[in-house]
Amino acid sequence: MNNFNVVGQSVQRKEALNKVTGAARYTDDYNAPGLLHARMVISPHAHAKIKSIDFTEAQKAPGVRAILTGMDFPVLTGSPIADRPPIAIDKVRYHGEPVAVLVADSEAEAAKAAFLIKVVYEALPVVNSPSQGIKKDAPLVHENISEYKVSGRIYPEARSNIANRTKIRKGNMEKGWKESEVITEESFSFSTSDHSAMETRSSRAEILPDGYVIIYSSSQSPFDIKGYISDFFNIDVGKVIVNVPLVGGAYGGKTSIQMEFIAYLCSRAVGGREVKITNTREEDLISSPAHIGLTAKIKLGSKKSGRLTAAEITYLFDGGAYSDRAVTISMSAGIDCTGPYNIENVWCDSLCVYTNHPYATAFRGFGHTELTFAIERTMDILADKIEMDPLELRIRNAILPGHTSPTQTLLNTNNLGDLPKCIQRLAELIHWDEGEIIEREDGKVRVKGISCFWKNSSTPQNAGGGAVITFNPDGSINLICGVVEIGQGTKTGLAQILAEKMNMEVEKVHVIMEVNTQTSPDHWKTAASKSIFLVGNAVLRAAEDALQKLYRTASIVLRCFPDELQIDKGRIFLKSNPNHGVEVKDIALGYTYPNGNSIEGQVIGKGSYIMQHLTNLDKETGKGNPGPEWTVGAEAVEVEFDRRDYTYKIIKAACVIDVGKVINGKLARGQITGGMSIGLSFASREAFLFTNKGIVQNTQLRTYRTIRYGENPDYLVDFIETPQMDAPYGARGLGEYGTVGMAGALANSLSKAAQVSLNQLPLIPELIWKLKKGVK
Amino acid sequence: MIPFDFEYNKPDSLSDAIKMYKNFSLMNKEPLYYSGGTEIITMARENKISTKAVIDIKGIPECTVFEVNNNKLIIGAAVTLTDVSESKFFSLLSDTARFPADHTARNKITTVGNICGNIIYKEAILGHLVADSSVIIYGENGNRILPINLAFNKKIQIEKGEFVSQLVVDMSYSQLPYVCVKKTKQGIGGYPLISMAALKKNGNIQMAFSGLCEFPFRSKSMEEAINNKSISKDKRIEKAIKHLPAPILVDIQGSAEYRKFVLINILQDTLAILDGGER
Repeated sequence: MNNFNVVGQSVQRKEALNKVTGAARYTDDYNAPGLLHARMVISPHAHAKIKSIDFTEAQKAPGVRAILTGMDFPVLTGSPIADRPPIAIDKVRYHGEPVAVLVADSEAEAAKAAFLIKVVYEALPVVNSPSQGIKKDAPLVHENISEYKVSGRIYPEARSNIANRTKIRKGNMEKGWKESEVITEESFSFSTSDHSAMETRSSRAEILPDGYVIIYSSSQSPFDIKGYISDFFNIDVGKVIVNVPLVGGAYGGKTSIQMEFIAYLCSRAVGGREVKITNTREEDLISSPAHIGLTAKIKLGSKKSGRLTAAEITYLFDGGAYSDRAVTISMSAGIDCTGPYNIENVWCDSLCVYTNHPYATAFRGFGHTELTFAIERTMDILADKIEMDPLELRIRNAILPGHTSPTQTLLNTNNLGDLPKCIQRLAELIHWDEGEIIEREDGKVRVKGISCFWKNSSTPQNAGGGAVITFNPDGSINLICGVVEIGQGTKTGLAQILAEKMNMEVEKVHVIMEVNTQTSPDHWKTAASKSIFLVGNAVLRAAEDALQKLYRTASIVLRCFPDELQIDKGRIFLKSNPNHGVEVKDIALGYTYPNGNSIEGQVIGKGSYIMQHLTNLDKETGKGNPGPEWTVGAEAVEVEFDRRDYTYKIIKAACVIDVGKVINGKLARGQITGGMSIGLSFASREAFLFTNKGIVQNTQLRTYRTIRYGENPDYLVDFIETPQMDAPYGARGLGEYGTVGMAGALANSLSKAAQVSLNQLPLIPELIWKLKKGVK
Repeated sequence: MIPFDFEYNKPDSLSDAIKMYKNFSLMNKEPLYYSGGTEIITMARENKISTKAVIDIKGIPECTVFEVNNNKLIIGAAVTLTDVSESKFFSLLSDTARFPADHTARNKITTVGNICGNIIYKEAILGHLVADSSVIIYGENGNRILPINLAFNKKIQIEKGEFVSQLVVDMSYSQLPYVCVKKTKQGIGGYPLISMAALKKNGNIQMAFSGLCEFPFRSKSMEEAINNKSISKDKRIEKAIKHLPAPILVDIQGSAEYRKFVLINILQDTLAILDGGER
C-alpha cells in the first residue's frame, strides 16, 4: 500500500527552468503601448489631519492623466472590519499611508509629477505601541470603530483602540493556581517588521467598455480580490476577472488586498484604460501591510516536577493603523495560545490593537511565530527555575492525543502530529546529550537553544478548493486550479499527487501556473499552509472522476466491466489479462472505432474539497473546532557567542517536523529551510525602528537589513510521518512551520550564552549589551 | 526611476571634462561628475539631487589607471571597489575596499566616489588615511597633488569644478603590519557601527575611523595617546577616546554609549595585535 511511484520523490519544480533563466514573467514585467502608470504620494506622518492637498503644479506636468485623493471615491475597505480607505480620507493613520495617487503616461512622468503634489498636515498625537493603545486616555486611531461594517464574529470595542478580543477560557483557573507550586511570569515585546519579499507588490487594472474589470496582481488571494472589488465598488462579481502570474515571494504579505483597489480606482479615473502600479521598495516596506508586532504577558503555574497546571496569557498584537488580517492573526494566536503543551486550565485574552504603525497582515506562522517566542522563552525560564533540562520539561508537557486544545477540541492522532517523536529526533540531530553549553578557550561559548511549535489554520469554516483536469491527444493531463505559485512549489506537489493517483509519469502532468479566476475553480487563497490539503484533496477527487470516465470508455472498447480495469503509465487494461488493453490517449478525447464511429467524448475530471466539521468559537470561552489539524515540531539553534563583545554567529539551526507524509523531499526541505531563514532573520535583526512620533526610520533594505547569503547556518531538517488520514496521502501542512520556532530557539540559546533573559526582539548585540549592563 | 531628464557626456581627457563642467555650469545645468553612479542614482530616484548633465569620467585614461609605478600604487577615480578588493597590490586597501555596501554595488562604486560622495561613512578612505596617500586633484590650472590628510577634513576639500583624478599610495606602506575591522549592528555588511584601519609605522600606530563620528577621520592627538607607552593599555585607550574630534555618532546603527563600548574592544584588539601582549 505504501509503495509510491511519484509521491515522496524530489521532482524538479515545474517552473524551475523558466525561473533560473529569467524567462518567468511576474506582474510588473508587463508593458504595452497605452499602458498608464500610477505613482503614490505617501504620508510622512504617522498620525495627522490632512489640511490640504495642492496638485495644481502636478496637474500641469507633462503626461499627467489623473490625480486621485481619497475623496474621489470615499469607500472603506478591508476584512473582517471595513476600516480602511484605499487612499486616506481626512487624516492619515500611519507613516507611508497613500494620500494621493497620480496617473501618467509613463512611469517617469508619474514619478516626476508626484513630487509636485503638496500636502499640508496637522500632526496628531500618536499611538506608538499596543500597550499605549489600550490605555484609557490613549488617542483614538479610529474615532468611530463601532460604526464600521464588520463581517464575521468580530467585536470592535467602542471608543477604544481594540479592534477585537479573543477570549480563551478553559478549565478552572483557581484550581490550576492552587495545584501549582512554581509561578513563572514574564513579559515580551517586539516591534512591527516586514516580509521584504523579493518582488515588490504590483497590480494592474483595466475596465472594459462592457463593464468587465480585468485585474492582474502579485497576490496570494485572487478570489478575494474578485469578491472585494465586487463588494466595495458594486460590480457584478462575475464581471471581475483576476489574473495572478508567478509571484516572487509573499510570506503572507500578499494575502491582503490593497494595491488592487488603488489600481482599480486609477483605471476608473482614466476612462477604464489599463493602469499599472508597482511599489517602490520603500512603499513595499511601509505603505503596504507589514509583519505584526506583539507585546505579551505569560504566567505559567507548574508543579516542581515541571508539570504545567495553569496558564494566564495576554497577547497585545500591534495591528497598526488598519485591522485587516491582524484581527484574524490575533484570534489565531488565541486559539493556540499555550504552544504545544497540555495545560488543563487556561485563561487568554488575545487583542488586536490599533496603533499608528504600518498595518499588519499575515506573516509566515500567522500569530504563532509571535506567540511561540513568548511561550518558549517562558518554558526555558521555568526550566531554569526548577533546574530541569528544558528538553525534558517539554517532553513532560508535550500535547498528546487524548488531551484537549485551548479551544477544548479533543485531540487524536489524526488532528495532531507526534510531538514527542519530533523532540526525540531533534535531540539526536543536535547532539543534545553533549550539553547545552560548551565553553571554549578563546572566551567564546557554543550554546544550544530549543523551541517546540504547533499550529492549526484559522481559515473560514467553509474554505475550499477545486481542481479541473483535461486531457491532451497524447494522453497527458492539464491541471487547472486556483493555487498561486508563490515560490513554495505547491503546483509541483499537486502534479505529483495527480500523477500518483493516475499511476502515470509526473512529466505528463502539465500544470497551469497562472491563476485566472474566471477559468480556475474557486480556491479560498494560497495561505495557511493549506493548499495541499484543500486543493490536493480536490485533485484526488478530480482524478477519481476522470478515472471513472476513462474506465467507462475503456470498458466499452474492451467489452468488460469498468471495475475489471486497471491503469498504468497511460494504458488501461484488464487486471486479469494485461495484454488486453487500450491507450489512454486513444480514449481520453473519445474513442473512434476503425469504421469511424466515435463514442463518449473527452474526459474532464473535476473535484472539490471544503473544510469539514469546523465551528465558530464561543465568544466568551473560545470553545470550538478551529481547524483541521495541528502540525507539530521541534527546533533548535546553536550559536557561537562572544562573551566579551556580545556578538554571535548562528552555527546550526535544526527542525524536526511531523509532516504526515513528505510529498516532495527537496521541496519540503526547501520550504522548511526557507522558513527557518526568515525566522532567524526576523529574530536576529528585523524590526521597524520607530521614532517617538511613529515614523519608520529604516525604510530601505540598506537599513532594514535581512539575513544575507553567507550568514546562513547549517540547516538540519528531518521529517516524522504520522499521516493525517483525511489529507492527500496523509500530508500535513508545512509551508510556514520552519519559521515558527526560530525566534524562541535563538533567544533561548542566547539567553543561556549571555546569562541574561532576552525577552525582546530583534536579538542584536546592542540589546544584549544593554541588558547585561543593567544586570551588572 | 529617476524623475528627471539629464544629458550624458563622456569626455576622453581631463581637460575636456573640466571644460564641460564649466560650460554646463554656465548653462545652469548643475553638472555632476559621474563614474559608478550609485549615489547619483539612489539620491536622484528620491528627488534628493538634481542635475541636467552628468560627466562620465570613465573614458579618461588617467581615471582608469590601476597600477604600480615607481613603487607607487596609482588608483584612478574610475577604479571600482571590486577592482581594488580583488587586487593583490596592497592588502590593507583591498580589505577596506570591501567595507562599503555589498559586492554588487561595489562592482560600480569607486574608491574616489566613495570618498567624495555624500555618504557620511566613506569607509573606503580609511586605508588611505593611515597609508598617508596623496590625492591628485585636477582643475582649471591642471593637477594639484595633496596629502590626503590635508585634502580631506570631514569631507574632501576641493573647489567647485575640480575633481579627484587619482589616489597615489607609497607601496612601502604595504609591508607594514596592519589591522582593519568593521563592526556592524548585526551580521555581515550594512552601514558600520565603527570601521577602523590601523597600521604600525616606525613603532607607532596610525589609525582612522568611520562611523564613530559624523565623518571619517584620523586624529593625531588620538594617535599620540594610543602610542604613549609609558602608561597602561587601558589608560592609553581611555586617553585616546578623550581626544575624539567630535561627539560619538548616534544613529539607527547604534547609540553613542554602545559605540564607545565597541570602540574600546576594537582598540584593545588593535593594541594586542600591533603592540603584542594581552588585550
